[in-house]
Amino acid sequence: MFFQQIILGLREGSLFALIALGLVIVHKTTGVVNFAYGHMGMFAAFMTYTFYSIMGLPLLVAVLLGISFAVVIGILTEKFLLRPIRHLSHSAMLIITLGMLMILEGLALLIWKQDFQQIPNLVVGRPLRLNLGESFLIITRQDLLIFILTASIVFGTFFYLKASKLGLAVRATSQNEESAKLMGIRVGAVYAFAWGLGTGLSALAAILAAPRTQVQPNMMLDLQIQGLTAAVLGGFDSLPGAIVGGLLLGIIEQLVAQYISVELKMGIALFIIILLLLVKPDGILGKSTKRRV
Amino acid sequence: MLECKALQVRYGYVEALKGIDLLVKENSITSLLGANGAGKSTTLRAISGLEKVYRGEILFEGKRLDVLQTHEIVALGIVQCPEGRKLFPGLSVHENLLAGGYPLSSKQQLTTNLEFVTALFPVLAERKKQAAGTLSGGEQQMLAIARALMADPKLLMLDEPSLGLAPIIVEQIFDVLLDLKKAGKTIFLVEQNANAALHISDQAYILEVGQVVLSGSGKELLANGEVKAKYLGG
Repeated sequence: MFFQQIILGLREGSLFALIALGLVIVHKTTGVVNFAYGHMGMFAAFMTYTFYSIMGLPLLVAVLLGISFAVVIGILTEKFLLRPIRHLSHSAMLIITLGMLMILEGLALLIWKQDFQQIPNLVVGRPLRLNLGESFLIITRQDLLIFILTASIVFGTFFYLKASKLGLAVRATSQNEESAKLMGIRVGAVYAFAWGLGTGLSALAAILAAPRTQVQPNMMLDLQIQGLTAAVLGGFDSLPGAIVGGLLLGIIEQLVAQYISVELKMGIALFIIILLLLVKPDGILGKSTKRRV
Repeated sequence: MLECKALQVRYGYVEALKGIDLLVKENSITSLLGANGAGKSTTLRAISGLEKVYRGEILFEGKRLDVLQTHEIVALGIVQCPEGRKLFPGLSVHENLLAGGYPLSSKQQLTTNLEFVTALFPVLAERKKQAAGTLSGGEQQMLAIARALMADPKLLMLDEPSLGLAPIIVEQIFDVLLDLKKAGKTIFLVEQNANAALHISDQAYILEVGQVVLSGSGKELLANGEVKAKYLGG
């Protein structure tokens, strides 16, 4: 029974991890916490719905178009809304993302109205049955897909950042923007990359979550908070931390729901996290701020 | 090779540079000396495109630099080793060097340059996998210079390489600068340590509150009474 809860927690958690990963990539590279992050994904989910249900494109094509749309929106947001005010302050950029959040929500209401829309599961078929001694566990294929996609994106991203030239530029820029410039790195391109990748991840998360949340303007509200929490839990500047934080949050929420109260699961989970952070303020895998001078 | 003409830089209403003229000749060591806040770093930052030029111009091999972006200036062969080293502390020594070689397009050249800089500073080869932030001050400065050399610049600009280092390390680093000059590089050095800098300089400029007040060869300035009194400790 307990083991089953852990698996269910990991299922939720991998979605949190995906969202946290995108938030952390953007924050680590550009120093901005993107408040509109979830809503950008929501908008992409609506686009996917439009491509699929209204225009009748094949599901996979609609999904890819939806994600590409998000990537482009991410790049354009960085280039035209954030970069011009980069020299001001990070809080100025924060306010811009807050504005984006409201605009996207309003636009979605205006275009698609208030009705809940659907994006079907990306994979269909009989749920898988996992025998665990006397009990058993049912996992839908969509959940398995979320798990596999998250894992491959995580490993893909790590590997790419570690091994490629652009990855080196991203890591160098996140450590010292000015030095990166002096090495001939086009930091603008690095920001665009981070925003494109981050927003793309948000879109993917929204599309994967859509069968459960339905497509609606507030579909990502909880997930945004959970992703942010996962990121904070992991240390906010650590990519592995985002993953660990996401999975851990998933498990905590699931255990709270099972053994304490379903209604309070988010509240109690957040409370536990506050306690955790009191003990370890830098997050689980966050770098301590001490540094040799 | 590099020329600043009536260069003015402002921070808001504050004039950091009030129209300076200077010339860096090819295959020479030219230094820019002066007290804190005289505008030395601002000059380098303006050349690298990190600060906007208010008036005047900067020419490199006849090309206007003040209209270009930093990465374009680097591509022309001007690399700055910034004040306070500004390494990528969480990246390894090797990755810092690779970042310095970012403008290079061929792997072959990257390897050649890696060999060149590790021959210059053998300690970096020993510390290859260590995070740059864990090096000692002297090693960090060596890494900062090595990183700047990775792109094989025509003009290497150094901002206070002696800052906070023991005299013996300073000597070691300045010896390397002389070697680099012999190898055909051009060096533009910004320093507070006037004594050490003048000894290796072909040409030097002294900056006071945003203006060049004195210039001459290293030897001339070493012998100059005013310089002695103000910058060489009597």
